[in-house]
Amino acid sequence: MTALDVIELEVLRNALTAAAADMDVTMWRTSRSTIVREMLDYSTAIFDADGYNVAQSARIPQHLNSMGYCLRTIVEQFIPPSDWHDGDVILTNDPYCGGQHLPDIVAFRPVFYHGERVAIVGTLCHHLDVGGMSPGSYAAGATEIYQEGLRIPPVKLFAGGVRNDGLWQMISQNVRQPAIVMGDLQSQIASLAVGVQAIAGLSEKYGAATLAAACQRLLNNSEASMRDVIARMPDGIYEFEDFLDDDGIDTQKPVRIHATITIEADALTVDLSGSAPEVAGPINATLGSSSSAVYFAILAAADRAIPANAGCYRPIRIIAPEGLIVSARHPAPVAHRISPCHVLLNVLFGALSQAIPDRMPASYYGVSYVCAFQTRQNEGGRKVLVEIEVGGCGAHPLGDGASAHSFGMHNNASIPIEMIESDTPVTILGYSLVPDSGGSGRHRGGLGLKRQWRIDSDNATFTAQMDRFQFRPKGLMGGGDGSRGRLTLIRDGIELTLHSKVSNMQLRKFDIIRLETSGGGGHGTAADREASAIAHDLALGFTTSHTPA
Amino acid sequence: MTKRSLPIRIAVDIGGTFTDLQILDERDGRIVSHKVPTTTDDPSRGLMDGINGAAMRYGFTLDEVGYVLHGTTIATNAVLERRLPRAALVTTQGFEDVLEIGRHNRRDVYSVWPRPQPVLIPRDRRLGLRERMTARGEAEIAVDQPAVADVIAALSRMEIETVAICLLHAYANPVHERRLAEAVAASLPNLTVSCSFEVSPEIREYERTSTTVLNALLQPVVRGYLDQLRRRLEVEKFSPRLLIVQSNGGVCSPQTAAREPVRLLLSGPSGGAKAALALALHTGDRFAVGVDMGGTSFDVSVVRDGRIEIVTQSEIDRLPVRVPMVEIRTIGAGGGSIARVSHGRDVTVGPESAGAWPGPVCYGRGGTEPTVTDANLLLGRLDPAFFLGGKMALDAGGARQAMDRAMAAPLGLDVDAAAAGVLRITDSRLAAAIRVSLFEKGLDPRDFTLLSFGGAGSVHACAVAEELAIKRIVFPIDASTFSARGILDADIEHAFARSAVRPFDGAALPTLAAMADEMRTDARARLDGDGIAPRDQDLRFAIDLRYKGQAFELTVPWQTTAYDEAAHDAVLELFHQQHEQRFSYANRADVVEMVTLRLAAIGRLSRPSGKAVEPSVRSARPTSRQVFVANQWRDIPVWRREAITAAGTIVGPAIVEEDYTTLYLAPHWRLRRIALGHLAANFEGAEA
Repeated sequence: MTALDVIELEVLRNALTAAAADMDVTMWRTSRSTIVREMLDYSTAIFDADGYNVAQSARIPQHLNSMGYCLRTIVEQFIPPSDWHDGDVILTNDPYCGGQHLPDIVAFRPVFYHGERVAIVGTLCHHLDVGGMSPGSYAAGATEIYQEGLRIPPVKLFAGGVRNDGLWQMISQNVRQPAIVMGDLQSQIASLAVGVQAIAGLSEKYGAATLAAACQRLLNNSEASMRDVIARMPDGIYEFEDFLDDDGIDTQKPVRIHATITIEADALTVDLSGSAPEVAGPINATLGSSSSAVYFAILAAADRAIPANAGCYRPIRIIAPEGLIVSARHPAPVAHRISPCHVLLNVLFGALSQAIPDRMPASYYGVSYVCAFQTRQNEGGRKVLVEIEVGGCGAHPLGDGASAHSFGMHNNASIPIEMIESDTPVTILGYSLVPDSGGSGRHRGGLGLKRQWRIDSDNATFTAQMDRFQFRPKGLMGGGDGSRGRLTLIRDGIELTLHSKVSNMQLRKFDIIRLETSGGGGHGTAADREASAIAHDLALGFTTSHTPA
Repeated sequence: MTKRSLPIRIAVDIGGTFTDLQILDERDGRIVSHKVPTTTDDPSRGLMDGINGAAMRYGFTLDEVGYVLHGTTIATNAVLERRLPRAALVTTQGFEDVLEIGRHNRRDVYSVWPRPQPVLIPRDRRLGLRERMTARGEAEIAVDQPAVADVIAALSRMEIETVAICLLHAYANPVHERRLAEAVAASLPNLTVSCSFEVSPEIREYERTSTTVLNALLQPVVRGYLDQLRRRLEVEKFSPRLLIVQSNGGVCSPQTAAREPVRLLLSGPSGGAKAALALALHTGDRFAVGVDMGGTSFDVSVVRDGRIEIVTQSEIDRLPVRVPMVEIRTIGAGGGSIARVSHGRDVTVGPESAGAWPGPVCYGRGGTEPTVTDANLLLGRLDPAFFLGGKMALDAGGARQAMDRAMAAPLGLDVDAAAAGVLRITDSRLAAAIRVSLFEKGLDPRDFTLLSFGGAGSVHACAVAEELAIKRIVFPIDASTFSARGILDADIEHAFARSAVRPFDGAALPTLAAMADEMRTDARARLDGDGIAPRDQDLRFAIDLRYKGQAFELTVPWQTTAYDEAAHDAVLELFHQQHEQRFSYANRADVVEMVTLRLAAIGRLSRPSGKAVEPSVRSARPTSRQVFVANQWRDIPVWRREAITAAGTIVGPAIVEEDYTTLYLAPHWRLRRIALGHLAANFEGAEA
């Protein structure tokens, strides 16, 4: 490649990222569900003609580094490239066809220019509900994927621009609140159309061959940058482990997540063989999910920003024999697959901190605190409310962890209380930080948060998918662990501690659910904390005593 | 009201480096400009210096000045530099941390140490009030005297200057906020108070709290500045009608500015957008995109069918601000943007900037990394001896060394190619920002004229236009004081909003009519107070609508004064059409919800007829210099701007210089002078 191509390449990289951002805006502004429009639980991406990711929107890491896996699986095993035609929209939500969990519907559309496939655009959206035994499709008691909702194999929702109305009806009839779900699906389709238009414009301007060459070059550059980053990490074998509390079925049995990272020159191997076998409850992850955690960990650990694309993955090898918690087989349930991915990320960060201690943080809260309510009024009408809460971030070698802030595998915004109360018969009684929840240390872990819901409808069901009620987010370099999470039912003034996984619990009018989320781990020993920082924490009520818990 | 008959109207725009003035003489419609250094310690001194200087230069007296329209970044800078007073926040009990938790998503997806948004009122000064309002505006827990007394007692111990009050669902029913505010006013009269139902009566508690907190923090700041300004005007025995520029591009009285200073927070770029609009209307370019490029940022505003759009939420320093503002997209790209190479492969330009200090390497103030301005200098587009009209000599040697070391050597290029690459990437980023601004509205750049102003923009305009297939560029006269020109055209403008989330159907009409009546009464009273005659009062209603379930609304104008079925149907149809245009689909069968009724209450000031002084035409011959054009050095003509006439067009490549900006006319572009001394360039197509 000539030198000028370096310049042209940056121009094209900007243009491809802008195309992903165009798709993102379309998705956001037109969506219906609080999950998408307020929590921002969706992603958009651009792939080359072979299905390798070349550009991403800045959304959800768990999605972004898995959509390519899904697309490659579809192309290699289900719908060969020769069957992708102009105007097709291919979608799936099947974890065993490269998807994540059933609520995540991934949709792809090829971009054709002068009859040639030049790229593929994709969107992933977490839908409010895809059926199954629990509202929000977060069945905490599921033991098979069949209980978790409607499973859509890779299939054409549109063929040559014509919608498959039977399939559309099929989806619509199998989900709760179909108007919202189908509305969000329509947003995905609109977003794909915008992506197609943008990429076709680039093909017109630069030529399909230049675009293809640029995509290859972008992948190669990111690979090379990734190799540089890895080469600067000291060679060695680094091991770390942590545990999930339980799978919700056998509530006494912790589930091990283990990783061995081997750094050798400019390549890196992540061996997950030491992790527990897959479990009965819905906290399994397919390799498509857990590899996303691996890729995210290494990208985040890089000492400089690397354009995130599939080239970054090339120097990374993942070893995970089938049938583990991180490489589950059909028909294991996977609704809360993000749980092992969060803990896996903490484990990978822990292992990497041995190699690059100056830039890795202590463990973060390490779970998506999912609460799904379905309220029903006597005069009819059911409402599904899915909330995903966060906790404290791990302290970093440079300072305290952020309190109540999205970290790691997800990146959810909170839903405004006034929006919830305008729409759903639920009252939020409080939303606050939890004092003393951050791990102690030279740098303190971020605080977890507390949120309380009161049910105002005649009856309701409640489902929770949580963790970190037993195993606390770990401190690093002598720092203390973050606090545990806690879930409480308050009925008639009596408090009842709930398990971290709750499936379809019946609630009565005026029942209160209180969630306290875990704090982040501390970094360095508490004895080294500056006196002014200790005084500041006390004055602001982030801590309540001089001696760390 | 005798002020209005006085002939001189002055617009003053106080920026970080310069205080820019534009002066209209209504007797003959002449508009002239003036520029003085900004006096950072007390900006009102620079303002007065500027006015006195202009009076002397153009021969008017202070007694002849009717209006002074004042754009100020005092509020913006106070927030960015944290020069803010001690404040407290009162929320519904149990929600004191909403300000700190925010919406809790992060900006940098791959960060291992994310930094949340700043928290401007710390936790020990956030108080909970025992009360609770429901979404329907019913008091589930009514506020009582002991609860109020507890809060007052706590506030009295805090040694604060100002207090923000933001209670849940206060947009639906403000009685609790009002009760507490009255109690604070009675017991602690030295405190200024900001209530959310007045500052931002709209749904979403975090955004409303953030806006109210900013307002509370800015009240003492803006009041202090306006007092200082008033005293200075008194000393000078100068008593014009003073009006302050708001973020929506309209002006307001100093009293309103002191009460709702958050409305000034994003006023900086609004003058530029308004000026772009005025220019577009003048030149007949009803579809135009205005770009203002300075040292660190690039602002894009869109004129669509002769109108600029107002958005209802924006942000400052990652904090949401929910007040109407002129829609502007800003990216970190300017003359000071830094170019870097990593690993001999990845080239980036910006968003890091060398800023005004130390600035580009060629400023010779210690900058070491090559910037966009350095690249322009190295390729001959800027003249090292004629920067800022020759007031500042540029160090081309230093720039060359930096470009060589940081870019050329690692890429294996010569310095010329490296510098050209920096410009190529910059132009593509600028073009991308414009494209996204238009894309969001479903618009095609090819239908637009580019309006290029600001100190640094005109060297990039041709390349950016070509990137977007834009065929026409207008370079306004006085490009570097152009923002002040926008202020000169401003009207008094008050914004009112009321939220009520419900289906938008026939049953909603009585509610809407009642809301509109109340808002209309408030608006008339406010405009009467401004001394605006009824015939100059213009009330424009609009309503935010969405498909049920969506979180983002489209603002649709309510074009009649009636609230009947016919008006409803017309508004609804307009909503479907707007949705289709912006998002490529509309669902006419779906339920549509209303969220917020809005009212822009405009008090029209007399419209300046606007006759800029035609610069004297000198029949100067161009000089020439070596400029790097399309990968080769060529000797091209260098014109003084005054020499470009309506008759004699010039053809690119050429350079056109004026005191505070330089224009690079690329090959295939033809430049001529149009009305009022503006220049227009047209693309003539590539040669075979």
